[in-house]
Amino acid sequence: MPRDQTRTIRLILNGQKRTLRVDPADTLLEALRAASYTSVKYGCGTGDCGACTVLIDGEPTHSCQIRAVEVDGHEVFTVEGLAPFPARRLDDLHPIQSAFAETGAIQCGYCTPAQILTAKALLHRNPDPTRDEIRSALSGVLCRCTGYVKIIQAVERAAALLRDEGVCPFRHAAATLPGDQSLADLLAERNLIAGDWREPRTPLVISPPAMARLVVVGESESKVDGIKLAAGTPAFTDDVRMEGMLYGALLTSPHAHARIRSIDAREAAALEGVHAVLTHEDIPRVKYASGGQSFPQPPPYDQVCLDDKVRHVGDRVAVVAAASPRLARRALRLIEVDYEVLPHVLDAEEARGSDPPVIHDEQDTEGIYDASRNTVHRIEAAEGDRQEQWRRADHIFEREYRTSQQQHAHIEPHACITYWDEDGRLVVRTSTQVPFHIRRMLAPLLGLSEKEIRVIKPRIGGGFGNKQEMILEDLCAHLTIATGRPVRMMYTRHEEFTSSRSRHPTVQRYRVGVTNDMEVVATELDLLGDTGAYGTHGLTVNMVAGQKGLTLYNSPYSAFRCDVVYTNKPTAGAFRGYGAMQTHFGIETLMSEIASEMGWDVVEFKRRNWIKDGELLVMATALGEGREGFEQRIRSNGLAECVRVGLEATQWYEKRRKLNHASAVNATDGCIEPLRRGIGMSLMAHGSGIAGLDMAAATIRMNDDGSFVLLVGAADLGTGSDTILAQIAAEELGVAVDDILVHSSDTDFTPFDKGAYASSTTYVSGNAVRKAAIKAAARIRKHGAAMLGVELRGSRDAGERDGTRQEEVGDVPTTGLEDIELHGGSVRFPDGRRVTLEQIALSSLHQQNQHQIVASASHLSYDSPPPFGAQFVEVAVDTETGQVTVERVLMTVDAGRVINPITASGQVEGGIAQGLGFALCEEMVYDVDGRLLNPRLGPYHVYKADEMPDIDVIFVQTDEPTGPYGAKSVAELPIDGVAPAIADAIHDATGIWLREVPFTPERVWRALRART
Amino acid sequence: MLPSFELLMPETLPEALEMLAGYAPDAMPLAGGTNLVPDLRGGKRRPGVLVNVHGLDALQYIGRQDRYVVMGAGVSLADVLESELIGAHGRVLQEAARVFANPLIRNRATVGGNLGNASPAADTVPPLLVLDAELKLASAGESRWVGLEDFFVDVCDTICRHVELITAVRWLVPPPRTFSRFRKLTLRKSTAISVVSVAVRVTLGESGRCVDAAVALGAVAPTPIRVHEAEEVLRGEALTPEVIDRATRFACTAASCIGDVRSSAAYRERVTDVLTRRLLAEAQEWSEEQWERS
Ligand SMILES: Cc1cc2nc3c(=O)[nH]c(=O)nc-3n(C[C@H](O)[C@H](O)[C@H](O)COP(=O)(O)OP(=O)(O)OC[C@H]3O[C@@H](n4cnc5c(N)ncnc54)[C@H](O)[C@@H]3O)c2cc1C
Repeated sequence: MPRDQTRTIRLILNGQKRTLRVDPADTLLEALRAASYTSVKYGCGTGDCGACTVLIDGEPTHSCQIRAVEVDGHEVFTVEGLAPFPARRLDDLHPIQSAFAETGAIQCGYCTPAQILTAKALLHRNPDPTRDEIRSALSGVLCRCTGYVKIIQAVERAAALLRDEGVCPFRHAAATLPGDQSLADLLAERNLIAGDWREPRTPLVISPPAMARLVVVGESESKVDGIKLAAGTPAFTDDVRMEGMLYGALLTSPHAHARIRSIDAREAAALEGVHAVLTHEDIPRVKYASGGQSFPQPPPYDQVCLDDKVRHVGDRVAVVAAASPRLARRALRLIEVDYEVLPHVLDAEEARGSDPPVIHDEQDTEGIYDASRNTVHRIEAAEGDRQEQWRRADHIFEREYRTSQQQHAHIEPHACITYWDEDGRLVVRTSTQVPFHIRRMLAPLLGLSEKEIRVIKPRIGGGFGNKQEMILEDLCAHLTIATGRPVRMMYTRHEEFTSSRSRHPTVQRYRVGVTNDMEVVATELDLLGDTGAYGTHGLTVNMVAGQKGLTLYNSPYSAFRCDVVYTNKPTAGAFRGYGAMQTHFGIETLMSEIASEMGWDVVEFKRRNWIKDGELLVMATALGEGREGFEQRIRSNGLAECVRVGLEATQWYEKRRKLNHASAVNATDGCIEPLRRGIGMSLMAHGSGIAGLDMAAATIRMNDDGSFVLLVGAADLGTGSDTILAQIAAEELGVAVDDILVHSSDTDFTPFDKGAYASSTTYVSGNAVRKAAIKAAARIRKHGAAMLGVELRGSRDAGERDGTRQEEVGDVPTTGLEDIELHGGSVRFPDGRRVTLEQIALSSLHQQNQHQIVASASHLSYDSPPPFGAQFVEVAVDTETGQVTVERVLMTVDAGRVINPITASGQVEGGIAQGLGFALCEEMVYDVDGRLLNPRLGPYHVYKADEMPDIDVIFVQTDEPTGPYGAKSVAELPIDGVAPAIADAIHDATGIWLREVPFTPERVWRALRART
Repeated sequence: MLPSFELLMPETLPEALEMLAGYAPDAMPLAGGTNLVPDLRGGKRRPGVLVNVHGLDALQYIGRQDRYVVMGAGVSLADVLESELIGAHGRVLQEAARVFANPLIRNRATVGGNLGNASPAADTVPPLLVLDAELKLASAGESRWVGLEDFFVDVCDTICRHVELITAVRWLVPPPRTFSRFRKLTLRKSTAISVVSVAVRVTLGESGRCVDAAVALGAVAPTPIRVHEAEEVLRGEALTPEVIDRATRFACTAASCIGDVRSSAAYRERVTDVLTRRLLAEAQEWSEEQWERS
């Protein structure tokens, strides 16, 4: 029996005297969260991420690094102290908080309280900091979503507010081209050419003249969840505590490959406070795949909840539920496992070589292509006339490119709470991107029917694909079933690295044939994808890699051959970019290499070959997602304009091959460094949802006061999708965004949505919301007409029929539904009369022809229109040490119509930041035994505020006919082009090509040395 | 969540030393915790007792005593960065503090912890080595000054006994016309552990020649090291490219480089060469300016 060691500490907490009873072993983080100061977040426990930052005597400090007893007698400040609860509108917040909410500095919001406190300490010390001072001050708090651009702008804005200087509303800049101004003048006026950073630059949105302006759509609306996130309100999975809740913990494998001979859990189970220990002997063996994808999930079903075999260091072995997290971890150490260690294989080539260790030798997994060679899938597809096209080729280029294993590193780890509700149904509160898939996938594993399970998605602290996986839900639920109690599980950062998912490493062999007049006639891609220990997402990621890696230049002959193999490494899964970003690195670099070798202008070479408006995507039918796809034709394509704008803004032709003439630059510190500068570019194309598969639905319901509830299954994981869906509804219904109350998502109350992945939410869910809003609007119009006794033309309600407005025929009454405007919260009739929405709501609910104005709609698209983009990157290379510094990134984006320029540019900036990590430093590194050498955010290295280059975003709008108001996706696109643009820039600076990411200083140095 | 241990909170230095003596060898001092807390969490260290020395007044000063700059071991890296005295007489240390971790870690991390942790990559060590710093090791009732070069034994191993605490660090105020600089190479700019770090001190005589020099390297051997052979080369010479080249070659030889997750041995050796050469070239430029000005 552990003796009671608790002590009482006295402190000033948020300005008030408080006493707390704490265990001396408790960190301040644990003590504060236990005392309901849940704005203070766990992110790593090692002082690397800073999510747990609090102010101690005014100084920002990692609360995970100090014991609670140490703050006895000190002042501690958390975000809860900044604004009164509840904060209901922006004015209720502290200026720093409101600046964060207004500028789009908040995406998932998990690191926001820490950023705000760090900013507060800075501004207290230095009311007028420079941009570099801000970057430096914020460099102790990681953000994985924003790329820090808007966080820095928020701090600048807050500083101005606190100095009582006036600030303008934070919004994008808009321009029409061609218009009154030339492109050059427009860019100069926005300071985009010189890259003058004294003025905070917001994104520029360029529209074609024909594009109609809308009211709410296209505006820089603040995020609908911004206020609560800025206030640090308990909104995340782990921010609630249930009565009697137990804490789960996972025992993981220390071996890369082993069979479990036996497990002795008696001692652990006997420990007081331990309520359950589950091993493979306790759980039925049901095969599944953990990837959250549509039914039926792609094979193979090569996982079980707990197995008698482990296939990577960090693989699941057993779970424990105990009265406290500490006790649960102690129990784990008491579980004795007898392992028969097996030979393992870490390298994908070796894994499919001769006589490798067989990772999936079990009899009950079906659908592995060749288990004896660890080959999960072999994919082959080709289109076009092979012989004819190769015959046309005057030059053939073959290159190999390699990409590494990247971690998502969302700051909120996977977290889940499961419990039985009062009806005996299992509730799963979880940090997921795919609530509906989770419910469907969980049921067979637990032996429950789907209707007995309810999945709730609260606020999510980032996911990037890693939460498109069932990582904890099944284990947590098994513990609730075993104990009858609520159980909470949350990964440690170490477990995130070893036991969640990651990006598929690839080896790509590209073979491209070109003619003397710059035509790409044939492209073959031979891909080796490493899926790690399990095959989840292995088929689809690699199919997408093939399809997207063969689309941008759409060769008349295109061929794809791919092996997806198992290795004894932590499992790969879905990750923003989803195969496409890997092959973009290959094909874009190769295209630049070809241009360089042939002496062609790279821009001209790419322009000749990139996919054009009206063209069919050559590989779209052969390579869908895990199955045959649907024919795809390009209907909107802003590539030419993206490139034109980018070239002008970077003054490309003045800089290309000229920057490095100043080969010895005097660095600011006076040290002569042989720096070389270069500029590079890349193009990219992605998709918008999975054609013919992704379905989303929405319901809109009117309230008594004329506001609306919008129910969506779409899972906002920090991207801002709740906001843009609300904007779409508001546009149709003629109200302000804050009259739309968005709920996402709860499998009991919100309609189905496939979830947040495949860049689908704006395009697919957005269309569903728009359809539902059109239907609801039609009902409102009709009710308004009835209230005023206006007789309507036509008998049937067009909106009711199919969710689209149609021309009505009929000649007696002169007013049609479409003549009635919904605007500014009221319904306006052609004769000038109006009825407010509140009057309509009250009338329809209580007075006349009573009924609930409510509408649902769903959407599926057989198109997946690619958004396009171009990235321009300027780098400095230290040729003696190989260090690469990216100094500026400009991205021009065709995402169709941009629903919200602030949230969309946030996606671009964040994607670029993750792309920079992928290109330059992030890599999971193993020792020979398969143990990860850098399972910490520090040594793994996620970009920080003080090392980010300047980033500019320019949207070049097009009108996608199948998108909501012309919108396409934006979420994944920006990550695709960063690595090849940097490779191109390094070549421009030094003449070397790097064909393996990340471009660490050592790799760059080796490449430089190999040349000389 | 931390594993169980007893945490003692002494209020004075003598009390802390008594506690260390009382629980030795099972007790460890805990300063900012930026090394120790992750180590405890990862199970790398399992002491039964931690004696909190963070915030003890007796360890919290920076001042001048006679010909020495003296600072308490509890001084944080943020304090080092802000100290005018250190700026004037130990710029090399301040340069290390500037590129040390990030502002949050600098608020917590102490000089004593950086030394006591004895990582080969500890960033305060090469600067303090070139300043010929000494450490005060105190136990209940006793204390001694030791040269920093004699302090480190191996990776994470020092001559500091279980009952002892580093209480102070001191170095002689360098003579006028002294140049001292620090440079490190990391995988990224921000908050990254050094792949290689180099500190250089050069003192010029009346003639403009180098009368004294010190070169120290971090992260290239089990402990940070001084490169005396390189110093010999520099002493008494004018800093010419030829002299710099010879000194640099000694630095590379001394760096019995280790390969690890951050980089290979060959690359470390290369970076040692580049950084040493650059710092000495900088010293050369500086010495020319000095001479022109005199
Ligand atoms: C995110 C992050 C970034 C980092 N970046 C850097 C960096 O750039 N450069 C760098 O050098 N280090 C870095 N570190 C490591 C660490 O911050 C430093 O080594 C720091 O100086 C340790 O000091 P501390 O006060 O936190 O020591 P603690 O963690 O409290 O103690 C470290 C060790 O020293 C012992 N100790 C503490 N005080 C004394 C004393 N007075 N006498 C004897 N022994 C003592 C302890 O018992 C323990 O073994 C980083 C750490 C983190 C978490």
